[in-house]
Amino acid sequence: MNNLGLIIKREYMSIVGRKSFLVMTLLIPIIIVICMLIPVLLTKMNNESATETQQVTVIDETGSLAQAVKNTPAFNFVTLQGDENKPTDARQFYEKAGSSVDAIVVIPRDVLDKQQVTVYSENTVSPALLKHLEECLTDTLEGAKIAAYDVPELKKIMKDCEVELDVQSVKWDANGEENSSSTTAAMIFGIALSFITYMFVIMYGAMIMNSVIEEKTNRIVEVIVSSCTPFQLMMGKIIGVALVGLTQFAIWVLIIGAVVGITGLSVGGVGSDGIAAVLQAVGSINITYILICFVIYFIGGYLLYASLFAGFGSAVDQASDASQFSTPIIMIMIIALYAGMACMENPNGTMAMWCSIIPFTSPIVMMVRLPYGVPFLQLALSIVLLYATAAFMIWISSRIYRTGILLYGKKHSLKEIFKWIK
Amino acid sequence: MNFIEIKDVVKQYDGHLALDRVSMDVPEGIIYGLLGPNGAGKTSLIRIINMITKPDSGEVLLGGKPLQPSDVAQIGYLPEERGLYKKMKVGDHIVYLARLKGVDKATAVQRMNQWLERFDLTEWRDKKVEALSKGMQQKVQFIATVIHEPRLLIFDEPFSGFDPVNAEQLKQEILRLKDQGSTILFSTHNMESVEAICERITLINSARVVLEGSVAAIKQEHKKHLYEIEQVDRAATLPTNDTLYSIEQTTRNSTLIRLNDGVASRDVISWLNEHVQLAGFHELLPSMNEIFIETVKALKS
Repeated sequence: MNNLGLIIKREYMSIVGRKSFLVMTLLIPIIIVICMLIPVLLTKMNNESATETQQVTVIDETGSLAQAVKNTPAFNFVTLQGDENKPTDARQFYEKAGSSVDAIVVIPRDVLDKQQVTVYSENTVSPALLKHLEECLTDTLEGAKIAAYDVPELKKIMKDCEVELDVQSVKWDANGEENSSSTTAAMIFGIALSFITYMFVIMYGAMIMNSVIEEKTNRIVEVIVSSCTPFQLMMGKIIGVALVGLTQFAIWVLIIGAVVGITGLSVGGVGSDGIAAVLQAVGSINITYILICFVIYFIGGYLLYASLFAGFGSAVDQASDASQFSTPIIMIMIIALYAGMACMENPNGTMAMWCSIIPFTSPIVMMVRLPYGVPFLQLALSIVLLYATAAFMIWISSRIYRTGILLYGKKHSLKEIFKWIK
Repeated sequence: MNFIEIKDVVKQYDGHLALDRVSMDVPEGIIYGLLGPNGAGKTSLIRIINMITKPDSGEVLLGGKPLQPSDVAQIGYLPEERGLYKKMKVGDHIVYLARLKGVDKATAVQRMNQWLERFDLTEWRDKKVEALSKGMQQKVQFIATVIHEPRLLIFDEPFSGFDPVNAEQLKQEILRLKDQGSTILFSTHNMESVEAICERITLINSARVVLEGSVAAIKQEHKKHLYEIEQVDRAATLPTNDTLYSIEQTTRNSTLIRLNDGVASRDVISWLNEHVQLAGFHELLPSMNEIFIETVKALKS
């Protein structure tokens, strides 16, 4: 057991002590923050770049609607009275006005019937102008139309008739008590946990595989296994890399927490309101219960896949050959992730149920199902199966490992590898 | 008493027999050679002694008792395929390997410093392994093999990768460890390198023990009754004597003769003394290499 501790410590230090670990750990949150900020910044920059106000002439044939079009920092509207009897020749007008006008809006006198306004310009008309005109004119036109029916208080009646349906989901718990839950929050929470499991297993599984291959190509492995058992070496690696991952995650949570906290404070009320809303929504799910399940599935899933990566890594002679074995493992994970997303639609369906019981997909799919409530029997069966399979996979992988690490200079087929298990 | 006793060990890999009822006894405190061509089964046997693999049948006794996991602390192993963690610092690396063998940290650090000084590597202690030359890395590996002061040292092709100067230094260190009471098991396919330092050997070929015993005795057993004769008058030819010997080869300075069966060297010397002026008369013993080739050939036919 003493040796296992030493191996875990060395494995941990060998990764955490590297400069690349520090750089990656700090860079990834920065990249994530930048990715989140870029759309916001771009929109903001776009709004600010339109400092040059466009001159738009509105030719109003109705004589009453033009006032509904309000000036904005981007557009300055000048209203001209159109001729009520003759359609406006916008082209003629534009040629006269020269370059002082960027666009001409014609509000025809039959606008109420045709529901159409035309914008003329030599340049492409900006979507912002179209959107602005639509917003300004629609309400006014609606009002005018309603008024045309001449029913007293018609506007108020219509307002009363508006329906915005709020579907609330209420779930009865075991005692038949009502327990309202937010479906959206549950969904987001579940899929987030699935992604964390998926990311963690892929990233750190590959790290284990590289570490195994490195030891083999370095030819140090025979020295090490003359002092400890191959099983200790493999488990030391799996646990050591898991601790590296947890360290990295802890740093990220701290950094992201700090960033969210600071921006929340600087943005003021909006941020804290948003956070409060999220917390409230999440609070309606049984968060402790889900987190405990998450930890159980996370550890089981990690052990299952990490041992596969370690076992098959030992059969590889060069890092460049690793994909031969890592690709199938990653494929299974991707299938699990897609199954998880499909299960969001129908978390209590047959597919969701089976995928959350099969050990290779359960760590991911169960996370999606949990917020909706899973029968205890299914949960228990799934966890028992997951841990039994993980233990079995560790056993199989350790048998592949102890043979594989000492066979140099050969490529091995899956058939050969299965022979090592015997 | 024999320090290692290997009894009827059989090991099979994937339908291929690596060790076929191999037995071997290594007395305590000597340098013992495990010889054989590549692929004969040497490494398989060594891995079994190191408890890296288990035999299919048979057993290995260390100090009269079956091997136990805790015995790894008593064994130091320098494998043929050896390497180090390139990114680790030299000092940390040696201490890590020592601690895996059960040495406590303070002792490991103290011994590591002594050994680095011995090999003039002190200034490299805090450098990464990858910064060292190949020869220096080999020395670090040697230190890691012996730092837990094991009673049994196993070297698999120890001199491969060493230049002549370092090989000589390594040889002196191995002899020093033997004088301090360690038992040394030496595995190689290079018969000549072993002849000089091994007291006893076991020769393995195709998974079987084909020869076993002390080096001196084996040579006596396989001698061809060849003698090299030098005369004071180097140009003179040796007279023939069909009853005593036949001439095998004549070179510029000496003549090689083979004594006939049952003829004592004493009789040849006295006869020769009557006919020529002898400057030298000594027996040529076969090299281990010749003995090996002869033994294997004899087995095949």
